[in-house]
Amino acid sequence: MTSMKATPEPQADRSNAERYLRMYRQMVRIRTFEEQANQLYLTARMPGLTHMYSGEEAVAVGICEALTDTDRITSTHRGHGHCVAKGAEFRSMFCELLGKAEGYCRGKGGSMHIADQSHGNLGANAIVGGSMGIATGSALRAKLFGQDDVTVCFFGDGATAQGLLYEVMNMAALWKLPVIYACENNGYSEYTKTAEIAAGSLTARAEAFGIEAFRVDGQDVLAVNELAERLVARARRGEGPFFIELETYRYHGHHVGDINRDYYRSKEEETLWKTERDPIIRMRAWLVEQGIAAEAEIEAMNAQIRKDAEDAVAYAEAAPYPDPSEVDMHVFTDVLHATRIGA
Amino acid sequence: MPHDVTMPQLGMAQDAGKIVAWLKKPGERVVAGEALFEVETDKATMEVEAQAAGFLTEVRAAEGEDVPVGRVIARISETPQEAASASAAPVVSATGPGSSGPIPEGRAVTMPQLGMAQDTGIVVAWHVAPGDKVAEGDVLFEVETDKATMEVPASAAGYVAALLAGEGEEVPVGETVAILSDRMPDAPMRRTRAEAGGTPLVVQPAAPAPAAPAPAAAPPATAPAIVRPAPTVLPASAPQGRILASPKARRLALERGIDMARLVASGVSQPVHARDVEAFIAPASAPASHRLAAGTLRDGFTPFATWAAETAGITDATALLAGFAAASLRAAMPATGPLCIAVTGRGADRVYPDPDDRLGRTDPAASPMLPALILRDLRGSRITAIEMGTDRAPVLMVGGRGDALTVTLVWADGQLLADAALALVDGFAGRLEEPLRHLLL
Amino acid sequence: MREITLSQAVNEALAEEMRRDPSVFILGEDVAEAGTPFKVLSGLVQEFGKDRVIDTPISEPGFMGLAVGAAMTGARPVVDIMFGDFLFLIMDQLCNQAAKTHYMSGGKLNVPLVVRTNLGATRRSAAQHSQSLQALVAHIPGLKVALPSSAYEAKGLLKTAIRDNNPVVIFEDKLMYQDKAPVPEEEYLIPFGQANIKREGRDITLIATSSMVQVAMKAAEALASSGISAEVIDPRTIVPLDEATLLASVKKTSRAIVIDEGHQSYGVTAEIASRLNEKAFYYLDAPVLRMGAMDVPVPFSPVLEDLTVPTPDRVAEAARRLCAGEMIHAA
Repeated sequence: MTSMKATPEPQADRSNAERYLRMYRQMVRIRTFEEQANQLYLTARMPGLTHMYSGEEAVAVGICEALTDTDRITSTHRGHGHCVAKGAEFRSMFCELLGKAEGYCRGKGGSMHIADQSHGNLGANAIVGGSMGIATGSALRAKLFGQDDVTVCFFGDGATAQGLLYEVMNMAALWKLPVIYACENNGYSEYTKTAEIAAGSLTARAEAFGIEAFRVDGQDVLAVNELAERLVARARRGEGPFFIELETYRYHGHHVGDINRDYYRSKEEETLWKTERDPIIRMRAWLVEQGIAAEAEIEAMNAQIRKDAEDAVAYAEAAPYPDPSEVDMHVFTDVLHATRIGA
Repeated sequence: MPHDVTMPQLGMAQDAGKIVAWLKKPGERVVAGEALFEVETDKATMEVEAQAAGFLTEVRAAEGEDVPVGRVIARISETPQEAASASAAPVVSATGPGSSGPIPEGRAVTMPQLGMAQDTGIVVAWHVAPGDKVAEGDVLFEVETDKATMEVPASAAGYVAALLAGEGEEVPVGETVAILSDRMPDAPMRRTRAEAGGTPLVVQPAAPAPAAPAPAAAPPATAPAIVRPAPTVLPASAPQGRILASPKARRLALERGIDMARLVASGVSQPVHARDVEAFIAPASAPASHRLAAGTLRDGFTPFATWAAETAGITDATALLAGFAAASLRAAMPATGPLCIAVTGRGADRVYPDPDDRLGRTDPAASPMLPALILRDLRGSRITAIEMGTDRAPVLMVGGRGDALTVTLVWADGQLLADAALALVDGFAGRLEEPLRHLLL
Repeated sequence: MREITLSQAVNEALAEEMRRDPSVFILGEDVAEAGTPFKVLSGLVQEFGKDRVIDTPISEPGFMGLAVGAAMTGARPVVDIMFGDFLFLIMDQLCNQAAKTHYMSGGKLNVPLVVRTNLGATRRSAAQHSQSLQALVAHIPGLKVALPSSAYEAKGLLKTAIRDNNPVVIFEDKLMYQDKAPVPEEEYLIPFGQANIKREGRDITLIATSSMVQVAMKAAEALASSGISAEVIDPRTIVPLDEATLLASVKKTSRAIVIDEGHQSYGVTAEIASRLNEKAFYYLDAPVLRMGAMDVPVPFSPVLEDLTVPTPDRVAEAARRLCAGEMIHAA
């Protein structure tokens, strides 16, 4: 395991200014999206349940900034961040969250199943660990077809308890597949501390298969991105697979309704992460300090993002629901209405 | 822009929360992220943070009140005294909905009849509060009867305009316990029956008709009169009167107008299959029957028969009677050719071809011939009225004891025309009353 | 016409499709040099190489998951699940992922993959290598299910399955791998959702799938000698199901027995019988009978195992009783 220690803040490479700003902007977009989603849920305007990505923005953004649209990702039930980071736009996402026809999945998937084929997002997955096979299979296809795209499999620390991970890492290592297993260790497996569900080291699991494994500060978008750039490039050259453990934190509960969580973690711990280690605050300070952006510019950017999000929510709330006739569409690719076969 | 403060959704299966305490007073300044009020759910009590900065205004839910998730309970406004806009819902007083005043309009929810012999129910608990929005099927309240406790759902969506019975109160079946309105009620009401002075509010049209007990399954009128010995595969428990037949057999029978009961009565074993229906040639269904009756002033036939036997040697009085009938029929239907009369009753059945040769020198026919008339001689019996089905020919009956005789004719459509029937009965009765007419006419 | 075994027919179908479409590849345990324990795939690795005939570890959930991901991104994997019983191992990947992806994505993602597996008892393999689990997958919306009943169907249906853009599970009868049937030299496909009337008849319809088609054909033969004319229909795919052909036949004969080697309760037979009841009720002159495998785990002892599956004698006997108008199961 190679540990990516908190290094002294790097000096900005001026030629990368646009990139830095884009990473900051994407993190704020995720945070803002989640704030709006949280409000929709709390005010009972959004059906179902949802899992907030707030706090983990640097993981999705740092990695997805290293990917192109032809690179694939698989996502999790806590998937809004991955979706935004991979290039999705607010309107179609909020429409999906509200079950509207203009949603990415025409309202059939909802918060836990957003897929955005156009940007290579193979979809969130509501089965913990359910997408590990899909990500590895996508990498197998790339290798078989001689294509150079890389697939990143996002999953949480909780999913390391699923046997499927070990089956697919075994095959990925045997066949040197271009897949990166990105384990977002936010410290909690639902309502349980990770230490109580995972024996030994997470990275050692991958190393047992001969997979190079890394641990990185998941609240440092530059560190995450630097590592991701390197590993993606190597994976493209056929040096994969890789495993990254990203140390991060989720600000909300397991899901939006998980408010009373004193029994598994303290308010003090949450406050510490939010004030001392917040990836957006850190990046913002660095951008100002390095002279890449002025406070006023950042404020203006934040305000614009907030307005975009509010507009998208308003748009989604006013958008029409799918026609009832869509209920049995998309069951099969070649049958318009599945329940009318032979009816 | 003012920001609505709503009851948050805090758990996966939570639909309301109780406001334990407001942590800010109306008009007080609030900062985003500051604790605004305390909420209690079934799981826990927790503080809810303000989502926007401003001043707390328009507090619409009092401490201790249960509020559905998503309901606006206050606003965060830009000024401490921002007035409620005209469209905003009225501020509900801290004492909750009113308990006096007129009962709001709307659909009555009545105490349901939940058992066969139940005339009251106890409202165990209300699941809704005045002003709540309810969807069809939402549980309104819980009722306890002597048997069980049940939840009563809303039969339609609407708003709870009034709750008219308190928890723990016993309410007669059919009495209105709540009012649901289509629109958000202006003055939602909550009172107990005791507060109302026990005057029951029964909304007439809504009072549910007592459920009529289902009629005991009567055996169908088509129950077979005869059931052949059941084949061994027939279950011993086959319900009486239920004909066992395949769906196809039933469909064919229906299409062909075959009465399944008659088919079974004809000896077809059950279950009836399609081939049984196909093989069954139904007798022409019984046409409509008609009946005509007449009486005589006196019995002229008996003395005539005695006279005929003594003076003319005609000893077969039945043949004489058949002759009377044949002559009457021929008079009623002049174009008729040879006539054959079948006589039943008083011993053996006989058939008389052309018996109307005046004094009836005829003998019972040896060979059967289709009769034009069936004569039923019931004289001397105790039968006074008769209602029989039609037969293959019109049936003429003579009955009566003592002086007067009765004549009844029963015939089916197509056997006789009405005028002929009238002429036949009148002519026959006249001949019985005055036999000389028979000889003269 | 030449006759080849079912095993050869499957092999030919795969070879033809792999030659036609480079995105088709095979994934499974011992599929390459070993050619599977049934030797169905022998020779394919020589022609297509180990990149397209991929030996996997014994990791059914793992390689099934890989197939889903490969299919979602443009490949057409054919997954070999060595015994139908191992379907239980891949349920999440097959039923939660493959079956639902097209729907959950609002039609944006496709999962064109084939799971080749098998069914059939009486091979003395006991409870974990003898099950016929087609009802299990047919229950899940989004999966198509094909049940070839001979070498001819095995080839034509597999080729169609590989070209289908949906996940398809195809069950071969493992006892039939060496059975020969006429198979044309020239290419052909058998469309899904088209039942095959194997034998025309007047008095009763025997609807049989996969291994049970030959049982029904033998029963029909026996019935003919006692003057009963049985129609035998092989639906060939149970999802989609050619309801029209089944209904037309039953409306004609007024009687039906549905025969499938899956367990009888909550099974394929129940589903088909139920549809006949719903849609041909007024044409039925007798109850529709189900004949499936006995509701017991498949026992090892041959004496016991043979009792658990429908046989020509038992099918013929049931047909005779129905045609005689006996009241079956009346109590």
